[in-house]
Amino acid sequence: MRARLRLLRLDMLRLTRSTGVGVAVVLLLAIGVYTAWRGGRNIEAAESSAVAAETGYQDQLEYLLSSYPLTTEAGEVLYYLAFPAPQPSLPLAGLARGRTEVETASLRIRLLALEGQLYEHETVNPRLAAAGDLDLAFLLIALLPLFIIALTYDLVSSEREGGTWNLVRLFARPRRLLALKLASRVCLVGAVVAVPVTVAASLAGLSLDGRAGWAVALIALHTGFWFALCLGVASGRRSSTANAMILVGTWVALTLLAPAALSLANAILHPVPEALELTVRQRQGYHEAWDMTKDETMQGFFEDYPEWSDRTVPEDVFTWSWYYAMNHRGDRAAREASAAYRDVLREREGWARRWSLLVPPLAAQLALDRLAATDLGAQLAYQDAVRQHHERLKTYFYPHLFAATPINAVDWDGVPVFEPAALEEGATRAGFPAATALVLASILVLAAGARLSGPRAD
Amino acid sequence: MGLRNALLVARRQVGSVREDRYVVFLLGLVIALGVVAVLGARHHAASEAEQRARYQAMVERQWLEQPDRHPHRVIHYGFLVFREEAPLAFFDPGVGAWAGTSLFLEGHRQNTANFGDARHATGMLRFGRLTPASVLALLLPLFVVAAGFASVSAERERGTLRLLLAQGATPAQILAGKVLGTGAVAALAALPIGVATLVIAGSGAVGPVSAGRMAGLAGIYAAYLAGWVLVTVLASSFRASSRSALAQLIAVWVVLCVAVPRLGASVAGAVHPLPSRAEFTARVERALNEVGDSHNPDDPFFRSLRDEYLARYEVVSIEELPVNWGGVVSREGEAVTSRIHEEQQRDLVEGQRRQDRILSLAGLLSPYLATRDLSMAVSGTGPEAVEAFRAQAEAHRYDLIQRLNDLHISEIHYENDRAQRLPREHWAEFPTFGTRPPPLGGALAGRALALAALALWILIPLLGLGVARARLARVGVERAAS
Repeated sequence: MRARLRLLRLDMLRLTRSTGVGVAVVLLLAIGVYTAWRGGRNIEAAESSAVAAETGYQDQLEYLLSSYPLTTEAGEVLYYLAFPAPQPSLPLAGLARGRTEVETASLRIRLLALEGQLYEHETVNPRLAAAGDLDLAFLLIALLPLFIIALTYDLVSSEREGGTWNLVRLFARPRRLLALKLASRVCLVGAVVAVPVTVAASLAGLSLDGRAGWAVALIALHTGFWFALCLGVASGRRSSTANAMILVGTWVALTLLAPAALSLANAILHPVPEALELTVRQRQGYHEAWDMTKDETMQGFFEDYPEWSDRTVPEDVFTWSWYYAMNHRGDRAAREASAAYRDVLREREGWARRWSLLVPPLAAQLALDRLAATDLGAQLAYQDAVRQHHERLKTYFYPHLFAATPINAVDWDGVPVFEPAALEEGATRAGFPAATALVLASILVLAAGARLSGPRAD
Repeated sequence: MGLRNALLVARRQVGSVREDRYVVFLLGLVIALGVVAVLGARHHAASEAEQRARYQAMVERQWLEQPDRHPHRVIHYGFLVFREEAPLAFFDPGVGAWAGTSLFLEGHRQNTANFGDARHATGMLRFGRLTPASVLALLLPLFVVAAGFASVSAERERGTLRLLLAQGATPAQILAGKVLGTGAVAALAALPIGVATLVIAGSGAVGPVSAGRMAGLAGIYAAYLAGWVLVTVLASSFRASSRSALAQLIAVWVVLCVAVPRLGASVAGAVHPLPSRAEFTARVERALNEVGDSHNPDDPFFRSLRDEYLARYEVVSIEELPVNWGGVVSREGEAVTSRIHEEQQRDLVEGQRRQDRILSLAGLLSPYLATRDLSMAVSGTGPEAVEAFRAQAEAHRYDLIQRLNDLHISEIHYENDRAQRLPREHWAEFPTFGTRPPPLGGALAGRALALAALALWILIPLLGLGVARARLARVGVERAAS
């Protein structure tokens, strides 16, 4: 036992004295702490965006109520008033940003046709987005494996090539020695992972709930997969350079090629013409109504809202109830295309989730996004919540529109508050499939490595 | 004689690559990927372009088919424009995925362009995209490393370097030969993508592509890959063993192609954060509230405008004006709101340019970033193309709205204003929208830093090879002496 510990210490010393390893550790720790800090900033940015939506609404309401005569009909003021719909983000969202760079979770919507407002996006700089995002999840999923490869590709071959293999075999059994060398590397990588994760936990306010637990487990399993793969390849009799090329080639295939190829295939298999279709239809559906009788528009409206079908709208004067019913007609015209649009996106998401299970880094990354609720599924759930909010606003204001209520008779404090989208799925459902896939993949590469690497290294 | 020696070494290098089954396998893989990327990206770009053209035609038809309408009605009906991608978008889609696709032009407000590939993509997108440009810029360097990391070091390890020197080859000839040999293999890997791109662009199926743009792309990627060839041979000649040369080159690739671009983008975003969409919207609202509201005729801004008009036409009430006062209010209001929107938009774009400058500095460290930047500029898919579309669409919007306001002023009587309609023949008088892509020269002029980065990427390893030449001679002498 003592001898083994001494060997472990010696190996650790040898590892950390290498300039290459030292530089890599420093770089990884620096980037790790940076991304952890950035994660906290991301959360703050999301929070201040939600505040901006809320105060923007309050300021606008105050301005409108103070600048319009108190007898103005509510419908006129509602034309200008955009209600906030801020979706709070999970602490994990700072670390696994997913699609939050392009999507806003703090939409503001008016009582007008919703389909024209629902697809606003974040003020993203396309050039930065094209360069790629860097968060802690990407660092640990995409870059850390290269460090693992660098530490392990010559686990055995370096001893053999250096002529020390026969010597060290005198002191310990090869398998045990391999386990020892591996252990020291696992410790080093574990430290490189633990530091930024701990920093992130304090900066991003990460509490160790089920979601964070699954996230840590997935990162650990994914790291384990790369160790298994490296061990499988490195324990064979190939040269160091062959090992390095095989492992880096595998990294490129799993981390760059497979995701890029799957993304392209997904886009080709599931085209989304509905996005443009619904835009055209909503605009046409609303504006056509100006050239129709008011009764015709109202009939369509009453089909969707039978509870108001006893109200009447005069044919020869402008009324706000009719105006918003025309807007509703726009949404009605786009309804089919909009549903088809959501269906395609859900298909894309489901397809990506299924295929990702075959590619360990993808499985881990997509599962982290699901745990952080920053994936496409979460975005669609948010849009659904905004839809429901729009309906609640209509329910609240339509009686006022029909009654032509002046703004001073509306209870502005009683306006429905946005109810955020519930989390689409529990932590276990989000994390379990990927975790299983990672465990299976690890077993597979270990077994394949043992079989393919030819005679064992002893 | 010198050239012959160099060519002999080059042939020797190509021969040793041919014998290496890993490298041959990688070559096949890179070529296959390149072809798949060209075909896949072409297919995707073509179906996108077809969709946008189809809906654009539909919108134009709907515009002409409008019934008789009041001009202010049409101001709200507005117009929809779809961003056309540049012909070379199939080669390098640039920033297109992150820029909106459809933009609704209407009176009183500036909308943002919605939809786009990135909005419809899953979380996979962050690992990158499979496009001809990304195969060339990201994967080919790794292949060059695989083909050349052992070029000099293996000769040294086997003792054949001494042999070559003894046979009369100078260090310069050996290094030149290694560069030529590795470069030939790299060219072989890049050729299929180049040919496929040329065939598609030349066929005219994607739209007119100028020879200048094609030559520009060829030059950029040739220079970029040449830099990788030089760096690879340099590392191989400097490092004691092939193993450490390979490890060092892979580390360089990871840092330059994966880490620095993302880190640069992240830092740029942290140093100059953009206002969020919600914050931006609130700013626009605040600015608009300060000047007044064209829908509200009692607003102070419009009251002073009314007094000005009454004085100019020497009448006492707006009913007596020879022009339609409602149309005047709408036109002046539009001028004010457009200016405010444009100011806010300019702030936003300036914020983006500040971020871009930091990314350009990162491009000095990462030739990958500089190359991608130049590549999208030459392909016509860079941020300036997106901004040009936005600015041109806004100019079109403003022109459209003000023409309608002018019709309102001249053709519609003030009395009983809203009940009147303009005959539908007027709709055909409006110009249609077409994007004018920014010229190639302009796109490149703003990228001096990226061009400098690419030049340095070749110059620095060349200087390094000069040093390596002297060392190589010593290696030969030392070995011979020992």
